[in-house]
Amino acid sequence: MVNPVFIIVVLLGAGFLLGLFRKTGISLARVAGLLALAFPLYVSVGWMLHFIGQTAQPYVVYTAGTVPPFSINLRMGPDEAFLTAAINMLGFFGFIYLFRLFKSQGVSTIILYLVLFMGLNVIVMTRDIFNLFVFLEIASIALIGLVLVNKGIDALSAGFKYLIAVSVISSILLVGIGFIYYYSGTLNIDGFIENNSLVMKGLSTAVFLVLVAVVLELKAFPANGWALDVYQSAHPGISALISAGTATASLFVLYKLLPFGGHLWLQVAAVIGLVTFVGSNMLGIAQKNANRLLGYSSVGQIGLLVAVIGFSDDLGSHLRMIFFGLFISHFLSKAGLFWLSGMAGEEEISKWSVLRKKPALLLIFGMFVFSLIGFPPFPSFYGKWQLVMDLSGNGQILWIALILLGTMFEGVYLFRWLGFAIKHEVDESKAPDTAAEKMIPAGAFALLLLGASWVSNAYFPGAMKTSFLPLYFILFLFLIDFLPLVIKNTLSILSLGYYGWRLYPSIQDDTLRLVFAGIFLIGGMLTLFAGYSEKGKRPGFYPFALMMYAGLIGLVEADNLFGFFFAWELMTMGSYILIIRGKKSLVHAYNYMLFSLGGALLILFGIALTVAGQPDISLSMLASPAYPGWAYALLAVGFLTKTAALGLHIWLPGAHAEAESDVSPMVSGILLKAGAFGLVILFLAMGGGEAGRHPLLYALGWLGALTALGGNLMAVFQEDAKRLLAYSSVGNLGYILFAFSFMTHIGWLTGLTYSINHFLFKTLLFLAIGGVVMRVKTHNMYEMGGLIKRMPWSFIAVLVGIITLAGIPPLSGFAGKWLFYNAVIAKGWFLQGALVFFAGTIAFLYCFKLIYSVFLGQEKDRFRKVKEAPVWYIIPQFILIVGIMIFSARPEIVLKPIGALLSQAAFFPSEPLAWENVTAYTNLGYWSGFNIMLVIGAMFVVLLGWLLLMSRKAQKVKQFNIVYAGEAPFTPETTHFSHNMFAPYNKALGFLIHPVATQFWLGVNNTFHALAESARKIYSGNGQSYIIHIVAYIVVVYLILS
Amino acid sequence: MELATKTGFVLLGLFIILNWGLIMAGIIRKIIARASMRRGISVFQPYINLIKNYSIRSQLTHGVMFYLGPVFRLSGGVGIFLFMPLIHDSEIWSNFSFAGDLILIAYFMFFGMLGMALGAGEGGHPYSAIGISRGLAQFTAIEVPLTLAILSIAFQYNTLSISEIVARQQGGILNWTLFTNPLATIAAMISFLGAMGHAPFNVVMAPQENPIGPPTEYHGTFLGVLQTNRAILHVIESVLFMNLFFGGASNWFELIVKTFFIYFWSVFVGMVFPRFRVDQSIPWLLKIPVLIGILSIVFILL
Repeated sequence: MVNPVFIIVVLLGAGFLLGLFRKTGISLARVAGLLALAFPLYVSVGWMLHFIGQTAQPYVVYTAGTVPPFSINLRMGPDEAFLTAAINMLGFFGFIYLFRLFKSQGVSTIILYLVLFMGLNVIVMTRDIFNLFVFLEIASIALIGLVLVNKGIDALSAGFKYLIAVSVISSILLVGIGFIYYYSGTLNIDGFIENNSLVMKGLSTAVFLVLVAVVLELKAFPANGWALDVYQSAHPGISALISAGTATASLFVLYKLLPFGGHLWLQVAAVIGLVTFVGSNMLGIAQKNANRLLGYSSVGQIGLLVAVIGFSDDLGSHLRMIFFGLFISHFLSKAGLFWLSGMAGEEEISKWSVLRKKPALLLIFGMFVFSLIGFPPFPSFYGKWQLVMDLSGNGQILWIALILLGTMFEGVYLFRWLGFAIKHEVDESKAPDTAAEKMIPAGAFALLLLGASWVSNAYFPGAMKTSFLPLYFILFLFLIDFLPLVIKNTLSILSLGYYGWRLYPSIQDDTLRLVFAGIFLIGGMLTLFAGYSEKGKRPGFYPFALMMYAGLIGLVEADNLFGFFFAWELMTMGSYILIIRGKKSLVHAYNYMLFSLGGALLILFGIALTVAGQPDISLSMLASPAYPGWAYALLAVGFLTKTAALGLHIWLPGAHAEAESDVSPMVSGILLKAGAFGLVILFLAMGGGEAGRHPLLYALGWLGALTALGGNLMAVFQEDAKRLLAYSSVGNLGYILFAFSFMTHIGWLTGLTYSINHFLFKTLLFLAIGGVVMRVKTHNMYEMGGLIKRMPWSFIAVLVGIITLAGIPPLSGFAGKWLFYNAVIAKGWFLQGALVFFAGTIAFLYCFKLIYSVFLGQEKDRFRKVKEAPVWYIIPQFILIVGIMIFSARPEIVLKPIGALLSQAAFFPSEPLAWENVTAYTNLGYWSGFNIMLVIGAMFVVLLGWLLLMSRKAQKVKQFNIVYAGEAPFTPETTHFSHNMFAPYNKALGFLIHPVATQFWLGVNNTFHALAESARKIYSGNGQSYIIHIVAYIVVVYLILS
Repeated sequence: MELATKTGFVLLGLFIILNWGLIMAGIIRKIIARASMRRGISVFQPYINLIKNYSIRSQLTHGVMFYLGPVFRLSGGVGIFLFMPLIHDSEIWSNFSFAGDLILIAYFMFFGMLGMALGAGEGGHPYSAIGISRGLAQFTAIEVPLTLAILSIAFQYNTLSISEIVARQQGGILNWTLFTNPLATIAAMISFLGAMGHAPFNVVMAPQENPIGPPTEYHGTFLGVLQTNRAILHVIESVLFMNLFFGGASNWFELIVKTFFIYFWSVFVGMVFPRFRVDQSIPWLLKIPVLIGILSIVFILL
């Protein structure tokens, strides 16, 4: 191993020597500088590898040939090795990023850069507090020099404010150090921490001054305006160094010095950190400037890391793991994002759509954003999970709430930004700067992020290992994204088939999982099939589609809570990108993401309150949560965001309606079942039939009934065919929630029958309408009409779909209705049941509107030449129709095994559904799908034959040959009765669908934005105010502590 | 019983019901005419209409769904008949009621409605669609009191089997649901008014505004099929209410008398009251009748 002191030697030496190149040539100087930075990287990575996998003693360098306190000592332990490796990695790639800048700025800038990194290395390694102070100063001065590289008054004033602020902080630190030396007689950190037992008067002041200075150095909220101004006005390449580099070093300073303050200061750090995390992120939501936004995010993330250090007593042996997960994500992503900011060259976040011209950049951007918020498989996901679990183990519920709240705020602005990049209008005249020297660092950090994800999976405890197989396949799809669509689509379909084949043996006895796995996989294959009709390569579609399906199937496969949540987040991520692909989906996908993120955080909270720090995280833990009431409620609400229960539904119509034609069936027919599956898992854990009287379930029953009514009623008044179907999904998921809340045998059979039916008919309907929309290029039903003649196959599909939806015998929808009645009467939920029944009849209205407005009535001139929907859409539709027919005629094939499972003791053994051949019996009634099908089929054929015989000479007439009471129809447009079809109904019942939920969420949104908008005015840009903030902060912390 | 014999009796039953439906329609129209101080048509006028319509030679069609509409409609009417037990304790007159119970019949009513709606929809006449939209909208509200009543009696008798419900009402008039659960009966009979399409709930077919509502475009054989269906449907829906609330029938004579009076109830009310608009009828139906329905459930639960 190379002695770490050579890091200083080389960087300092190179700094001095470069002075000689001032005249000879900048090119040579740049190469020399890069080589000089490669050396410390080599050294620290070498040490890091040395420490991995063994418990070697830290290596200590004693300068001046003697031991402390008479000399300064540097330490290279595992922590130092890891952090200097990170810092030097940043130094190396950051240098490459600034390569062009150095050319214009000259050698002195390179020298400043080298000095900065020397300073950061020493700050991490040194064990002498005065030495620490000196190098903090050196690093700060070097940094200010670099900030001033940007010409203009902004950078100048920001640099000056930074200088003043750092000076104030430094002087406080220096006074503190003076006190320490006075009272303890040593400047060696280990020395005075050992002497801590000799606490005496005055020492607490010393501790206070030192630690408050370090905290302020870490840009504690709200005394951090000086830092924000620098983030905003410095060159992005420099801001990256501040955010990832100096912050890393300062964090380690805090870690080194905190033991000095004892338990009290750990708590202080935790509070300060969390206040910073929440506060800074909340203020970020109103920010539109990219670099300043990144500043807010940086401050927030560092706050979270400070809090983690503050929690070190509680986290125990998990501290390093958690810190690693959160830190490495922040470090790589934040540096990467600042670099991207330089490449995008746009300050307004809405203009980042320019990244679309270089899809690789967009991909990297997305990775960084997802990793910052803590999505899998990125390390922050692991870190946040473990952090929340451990905190709940120590009963620190409030802290968890704050962490999740801060994450939510962060999601608000980061996803707005990501959405803009993916979907906002592009300014054609601009293009991102994709010079190699900028691509290399950003790309390298993205790869490092993937590597870190892999490491996290390997490094975190055994229960948190998930199969990365689907992820590798997704990565593979990214790599082959340039291939033609046919290949990618076929591979995707085959992969789902293969996965199902592989999965089947392990779940074949678990009928419940089998049903959902069937919906996810078969549904996935059918909906992907429609993709063959797309033209072009459809870049970026398949990796995310498969990500969603991997997540969905992961839910079924998961045997512990971590695996479940991992899959849940994976599914959210994939579906978000799928949804945002729609032409007008920007806002809707954003809404979807916010509700999904909120839901996911609640689920995480619920899991934390379930597990409460215990090592066992298997799904069975849900049966005995540490805090049952809260855990169940949070989990239920979390799942309900996905099923779009009333009040949480406002994202759904837009997201489903504006998605691409083949994405709508994926997200509506299939994805929504993820929420249903979550509820199934949750309700089962609540204790089978015994839990039937749980007040939560009673409330959810009512919520389900109201959702059914609200969703269906809103569907009636839609003019947009896909929105109509989307609202119908809201209603249908209401039925499903209602049925599962029964917690009886028949109730669950109803819920599962509804789930299967909804999958069948909603996928069918969305595919059919999607195919129509592709041809007529509009969603408005009143613009269509008479399409039955052009699209007979689609018509048949929609007809079968609505008959199933409406529950009309003989199709399988009726099975659900019949079971439903039996369940309602057995359970005694008459009022809710009547409400749901009412919702069911309302469904007729929109079913009629859908099929009539689109396919019947008057044909419009401009659609006289449209063709039938693409055959790739028709084929899966007819496979689904076959499915519906089989399920209708022989429901026992599916329902018998489910019933057998539900009859087990762990489920609902009492009052099961009995089968006698093809007839089902309950205590109340009976029904035979097969006989009904037979009778109705025979009768229909006979009557049809009779009518055919009687009217065999019927003559086909032209369109306008109708009985029109003496007037002549004018145009098809004025003769097609469709727009606002149910006006009287609206007059009678429209008051029920007053958009209360939308107004509520708008209010929440506006309140927080207004709050953030006014609160961030404290960052006036005035240096004097910033100093007052710092001083006031110190006073306030002091007052609180004393 | 062999399928052939069974089918034979079913067809016979259907024949009786159809004829009774036609005759009842004639009688009712005669009564209405006399009540309005008119002489009225012959009692056999429905037969004459039917024969005329089936023999009209010119037939026009607007397309496949237009064609299928009447088939769906008649299948709906005949289907309800097929799944309905007619005479108490008589296997030969229980039709195919082994295939399903009350819920099957309640939902099968939609089959014909939907088919009619689609068939008329393809006719391309705006008045058809207006009539359908009104009809469906009003129907949602009509069903609510009925649902509450059905839930109430299903809970009362602890069964959804119609035969069983009839069996439980035997042994004297006081055992009828009418007396054991009067509130449910009231709620259901209000719904019955709506289902039969007389005033005040007949805006669907309002002749003043749109020729004859949904079937505007239908004529000839198609109209004949629809009229056949109407004759069957009126009787068979009355049979349903008879079975649920009025003790069922133990012979054909009882069936004929009871269905006449049940159907006449809707005519009687229709003669007295003017017509609601849809946006008036829906709130009306969702207030007092629903309250009565809820009370009937509360009554049974207590």
